[in-house]
Amino acid sequence: MSKITQRKHLDYVKKEYPKTRTMPANWYLSSYKYKFNITHLKPFMDKLKEKKLVANQCSGCNRVFFPPRLVCGQCFVVPDKWVDIRDTASVATYAIAFLKDENGVVQERPMVLVHHDGADTCSIAELREDIEVKDTYVGMPIKAHWKEETSGGLMDIEYYELIEDKAKDLKTEKK
Amino acid sequence: MGRQVAIVSAGFSEHASKRSDVNMGELVSEAIEDCLKKVPSLEINDIDAYVNGNMPAFEGSNIPELWMTDWMGARNKPLIRITTGGTTGGSVAIAGYYTVTAGLPGVETVLAIAFEQQSQGDTSVGLASVAYGEISILNSMGATYDHLTRLLSGGAAIGAAAYQATTYMNKTNITEEDLARVVVQNRHNAAKTWWAHLKMPDLTIEQVLDTPYIQYPLRYGMVCPASDGACAMLFTTEEKAKDLCDIPVYVNGVASVANESAILGYDGSGSAQIDPSMQLGAIRSSELAYSQAGISFPRKEIDYVEVYSPFPNQELMWVEKLGLFEEATAPEMYKTGVTAVNGELPVNCSGGVNSTNAIGASAMERPAEAALQIMGKASNQVPKTVHASIGSGWGGSLNLITLMVMADEPQRKWR
Repeated sequence: MSKITQRKHLDYVKKEYPKTRTMPANWYLSSYKYKFNITHLKPFMDKLKEKKLVANQCSGCNRVFFPPRLVCGQCFVVPDKWVDIRDTASVATYAIAFLKDENGVVQERPMVLVHHDGADTCSIAELREDIEVKDTYVGMPIKAHWKEETSGGLMDIEYYELIEDKAKDLKTEKK
Repeated sequence: MGRQVAIVSAGFSEHASKRSDVNMGELVSEAIEDCLKKVPSLEINDIDAYVNGNMPAFEGSNIPELWMTDWMGARNKPLIRITTGGTTGGSVAIAGYYTVTAGLPGVETVLAIAFEQQSQGDTSVGLASVAYGEISILNSMGATYDHLTRLLSGGAAIGAAAYQATTYMNKTNITEEDLARVVVQNRHNAAKTWWAHLKMPDLTIEQVLDTPYIQYPLRYGMVCPASDGACAMLFTTEEKAKDLCDIPVYVNGVASVANESAILGYDGSGSAQIDPSMQLGAIRSSELAYSQAGISFPRKEIDYVEVYSPFPNQELMWVEKLGLFEEATAPEMYKTGVTAVNGELPVNCSGGVNSTNAIGASAMERPAEAALQIMGKASNQVPKTVHASIGSGWGGSLNLITLMVMADEPQRKWR
């Protein structure tokens, strides 16, 4: 698997520049305290504990935000309506990262953004491990799989699993 | 209200992965020297004001414009710094335009400078500082760090571009070969440009497809390099420009549009751009800039295009979103040679960002090269006469688009 990261060199016309003095220096970054307002997340997190999905809706443009959002950027109003969201979704987009695990072995790790049915935003998610990455396609129907014990966090949805779709002739199928 | 603005010159420093012979100040003055060389009747003392910009924290030194003052000849002159992430260069050029068009007494000639010396610092530290706050909040919502680092792995920019590439490839049914074709055209063009970084005159599509993936669907051979380099542009008024050079390039329209940030969204709330290749910001910026410039049929009226495309799928995306080709037809145009140097609509004849990427300077090199093509002073000059050209930029929080529309005739909107 190490072949994946082995960078095959592409030749290009190089020019050598003389080396002048370089002063090595270190810059130790400090720790920071970021300010975020997460009050709007409380109902969302509470419902996650009950294995339910809620989203908030902007009264100006009727867009549904999942996860909830503090302000609607289009209308510049606070979304105040809460709506229920189904646990079925579709893959909005995906990419595959090649990362080393702790043993130094490079692994293919898919990254997906899912678009929940009924919502107007997409969010980060994880697919079930045995779903072959190469079979992923944009618009693939999936369903949330909950953890046994929920704690009220984003990771209560352990992974998304594939729904058998019979519409094989639809254009959503991978080319 | 407002004055017509013209570009009289643009200059570049040599770009390389490690400019070990110069520091940031020397790099910048190299670009200024090249810029002033093209207007022999102008001296450094004739410049009235300066605009400067680069990415913050990439070189490990903040406020570089202050200790760089003497390298630019900006002592005792008005100087501002603009920094808007990946579009820094585009915003600096637009700020140069604003400074001249504002019509302040005594401010007529403005030098805009954008630079980046990535070999001097750690780019990943600078990029991490952009998204770290957002990652922290997702972490507090229960997402694991493992998951989040994976989301943004492979460097922040490629993380965003890979999603765009996936949806674009899905929409247009293109293969990786089509992406590689764009890369090959860019690298061949870069070989004819004196300041470009990745000069590959003999690159083939097979060679690009032979390299491993960095992040599916983008391969190592397709992504942009990290360069050291600087770019300078000289803006002045219409009257002065006529004295200074033979063919002044008039800036007829500028736009800088921010759209919803992709992937993470604000406060971990996800993005409302479900299709990352939709790019409403690009569409809106082209509407704004073209209407200022009086361009109703961009496909017919624009002769030369420089788009900000670190990754080949973006080049295909931008030329469609900026109204130059029909939706989903761009890959075909690259196949038939419409976008080549001697084609109908040449795109990125300098090699583009795909071959040279000094992040802070990249978005400025686009309008600079597009202006030089109109003047006829470009390194890889297109054979046909260029009357109108555009230079775009992409970056910021993944969705800030800048656009500059230039022509050899002024748009009489001020009269």
